[in-house]
Amino acid sequence: MAEIVFDQVAKVYPGGNTAVENLSLHVADGEFMVLVGPSGCGKTTALRMIAGLEEVTDGTISIGGQVVNNVLPKDRDIAMVFQNYALYPQMTVGQNMGFALKIRNVPKDEIKQRVNEAAKILRLTEYLERRPKALSGGQRQRVAMGRAIVREPQAFLMDEPLSNLDAQLRVEMRTEISRIQRLLGVATIYVTHDQTEAMTMGDRVAVMRGGVLQQVATPEDLYDHPANSFVAGFIGSPPMNLLSATLVETQGTLRARFGDQSVEVPAKYRDSHRLNENLTRPLLLGVRPEDLVVATSDAPGHFSATVTLREALGSEILAHLTFGGEDVIVTDETETSSPGGHSARVVARLGARAHVAVGERLDLTLNPDNLHFFDAESGETLRLSK
Amino acid sequence: MTTTAATVAETLVTPDAKPTRSPARRRLGRTLIFVAMAIMAVIMLYPFAVMILISFKTNAQYLIGSGTSTQTWQQINSTLPIWQELWNSTVVCSLSILIILVIGVMAGFSFAKLQFRGGNVVFLAIVSAMMVPLQAILIPEFVNIAKTGLTNNYLGAVVVYAALGTPFSIFLFTTYFRRIPDELIEAGIVDGLGYWGVLWRLAMPMALPAIATVTVLQFIQIWDDLLVGLLFLQNPSERTITVGLAALAAGHTTSIPLLMAGSLVSALPAMIVYLVFQRFLVRGLTMGIDR
Amino acid sequence: MSLTASLSASTNARRNPRTSLLTKRRRRVGVLLILPALALVGLLIAYPIGQAVYYSFTNWDGLTTQWIGPSTWVQAFHNPTMWTALKNNAELLLSVPFALGIPLLVAVMLHQRVAGWKIFRSIYFLPTAISWVVIGLVAEHFFAYSGTLNSLLSDIGFSGAHTNMLGQENQALIALGITFVFSMIGTNTMLFLTGLATLDPSLEEAARIDGAGAWRIFRHITLPHLSRFIQLAFVMTVISAFSALFSLIFVMTGGGPGYSTTTMEFLVYQTGFNQSMFGTAALYGIILFVITAIVGIVQLRLIGAKD
Repeated sequence: MAEIVFDQVAKVYPGGNTAVENLSLHVADGEFMVLVGPSGCGKTTALRMIAGLEEVTDGTISIGGQVVNNVLPKDRDIAMVFQNYALYPQMTVGQNMGFALKIRNVPKDEIKQRVNEAAKILRLTEYLERRPKALSGGQRQRVAMGRAIVREPQAFLMDEPLSNLDAQLRVEMRTEISRIQRLLGVATIYVTHDQTEAMTMGDRVAVMRGGVLQQVATPEDLYDHPANSFVAGFIGSPPMNLLSATLVETQGTLRARFGDQSVEVPAKYRDSHRLNENLTRPLLLGVRPEDLVVATSDAPGHFSATVTLREALGSEILAHLTFGGEDVIVTDETETSSPGGHSARVVARLGARAHVAVGERLDLTLNPDNLHFFDAESGETLRLSK
Repeated sequence: MTTTAATVAETLVTPDAKPTRSPARRRLGRTLIFVAMAIMAVIMLYPFAVMILISFKTNAQYLIGSGTSTQTWQQINSTLPIWQELWNSTVVCSLSILIILVIGVMAGFSFAKLQFRGGNVVFLAIVSAMMVPLQAILIPEFVNIAKTGLTNNYLGAVVVYAALGTPFSIFLFTTYFRRIPDELIEAGIVDGLGYWGVLWRLAMPMALPAIATVTVLQFIQIWDDLLVGLLFLQNPSERTITVGLAALAAGHTTSIPLLMAGSLVSALPAMIVYLVFQRFLVRGLTMGIDR
Repeated sequence: MSLTASLSASTNARRNPRTSLLTKRRRRVGVLLILPALALVGLLIAYPIGQAVYYSFTNWDGLTTQWIGPSTWVQAFHNPTMWTALKNNAELLLSVPFALGIPLLVAVMLHQRVAGWKIFRSIYFLPTAISWVVIGLVAEHFFAYSGTLNSLLSDIGFSGAHTNMLGQENQALIALGITFVFSMIGTNTMLFLTGLATLDPSLEEAARIDGAGAWRIFRHITLPHLSRFIQLAFVMTVISAFSALFSLIFVMTGGGPGYSTTTMEFLVYQTGFNQSMFGTAALYGIILFVITAIVGIVQLRLIGAKD
């Protein structure tokens, strides 16, 4: 049983800097959990606390049901893959991978067998006698993984293992790592700042910011039901458009007013969201770029905007638009993830359709099924939990 | 003449830049430099030339000023306790360097990677010990060692040499170990090593260039040293070769060819060690200075 | 384990000892590793310094100690020999510019990478490997009345200019100085060459494109970069002038003629071991230490001084 539990864990550096605040998180056995967030959000610190490389200031961390705050890293039965691989330069690939076993006096035959197995999985067999400096970045990364696999630990800890690889290699290795993790069925905690990696690899994703856990959910949940405006803007590329809006009720119909535009809000949102008490209060209206469609003549509640920039990506066209002074972006088809997400900014953008020219004026509608509402001050979603 | 000087100056200052003067001028500059360097080389090689030339004479031939013979060399074994002295030097050097390396690696790793309270202060204190000239502590040192009965014993000299060489060794190793990425050490920890294991199984093997540098520098220092040997190894049977040579020189009845032969013998080992370890020297020193 | 079970376990462990086990171990190993160094340096360098201070106030002759207080110091400062020694050291400092300038020139030449420069480099460094005792012996041979210098002079026809440098009071020191410079060339050249190797060639190129002439480039680009190395060489050379000359003096002149080549470092030896006046010798040692310490500190404060 290898579940990992953070129970109100905090990390405060002597100097007063709080890296992690009141983190409570539960990772199930065999689960692939991704910790994602911008730099400085505390994700790496949290990972290192599991490993035992950082002291826990407050709270407890448990591995496999046992509190490990005061257990040495080597006794925690975890293996770690470092960002810069940290391969032992004086040893061959095979020796690197078998080192931990050698220290524990595992018999040579068993070491050889386990190393060979791992090498096969990672396609490293022909490199076993080479030294790290004779390997490419991708190969080194695999050796680092091999070192972890051979340990057969309760959990894998990975600290941004792909960030030093070029884009194409990164995409390749993403699928590799997922495949291997599924094959081995070992609980994995994976830290990255890349939201695309998080979305494609994780069983569940924990979004962190400034040391505080924002939301932990499956990628779909994270995308469809973000818990606050930060998560909404962080997950998804291009980020969700967040528009400063106010709600107005006229003759029983709810309308959202943003900029110099106003759109109807379907009634169903009154049930699912805390809208009634938020009339006339400043809100953030969230619309994913793909939920902004060019209006057809019979579509209600449209508004118009002017194209300021047009990005043709081949599979889609991103158009930046302004209306009444604000900038909005929209995509053509269903959103395909582009590499390298970036954190959301509270500037809303709309996109436009295929035949779009800069300076052209377009009519757009919001997809009424996919609106998001957030409190403008706290950023919290106004959605009622199930 | 001024143009030649200018050419030389220009060649000297910007060796890697593309020439703006004509190739002929540049070649002139480089040729002149070559000549200057050759002259310098002759000057630098002078001591060796002298030693070789004179040692191949007999005393009589030397006084006359002409003639060569191998007599001095053939007799060197019987006139000087050469082998004994060489052996003494070797033993003293080896033991001292061993201690300097072990202590240096241990302390260097600790200062570089293992933070503990007061570590920086201790580091500065030890490194500043490099500035202490031998003469300042010589007298008390001698008295102390004499009191423990370790004069005229390898141990006395070894301990003194070790103490003198340790600060520099620690300085070099600390600088060197600082360059090891922390991640590497953490990987070792996660894999199951304690810090002691990390030092000897991971850090030390990576420090071979630094080890070579310290070895060469200390070897030259200790092998060629006079003062410590003079005081702490006075017995002829424990004398190092350098002290033996000085003693020989002090005795005014010594033949010069013999002296030169002795000099050559004492100079050779250090030269060989230096030539063998040359490349490590430059690399190792650059690291210590660039930081 | 169920969530409740792990929660109760964690409540008990909520009170965290501030320092993790790993940190404690790290600190323990850290301290243990430096103990041998501390012992060695403390016992054999730090402690003797204190003792030297103590001895300097005594009449220690190897057998009996007698505290005579500051009178040793007073005597020392009235002793003309000591002042002569200090003067000799000071005069030797005049050779320092040469000990720095020549290596600088040599290093720059080596940096040109003319044909065979690696061999030249090895040759220039070779004298660093041999003992100053050996260099001293060869130098003695060179400067002696029947030595090489004079025969060279004869060869070029200046037999009238024959010297006996080591026998003349006012010339012996010069001979010593020349030998000292020779001995320092190897080390300092190595140092400066290292410095030049770390200089980025694109800086020189950029300056050239901007139209700077050779001298200007040297002054404004090469020299400033080298200033750190020059400082280091300066400190090392000066300290050597105060402590390392012992071997040369011992072998070349024995301190003479008279006291004309007796420097402080030689005086310590002489006073202590030839005259058995340990107290006074310790005193001289301390003065030497103070001087080198001052040099080091002054150097730290000066902003890249050369010349």
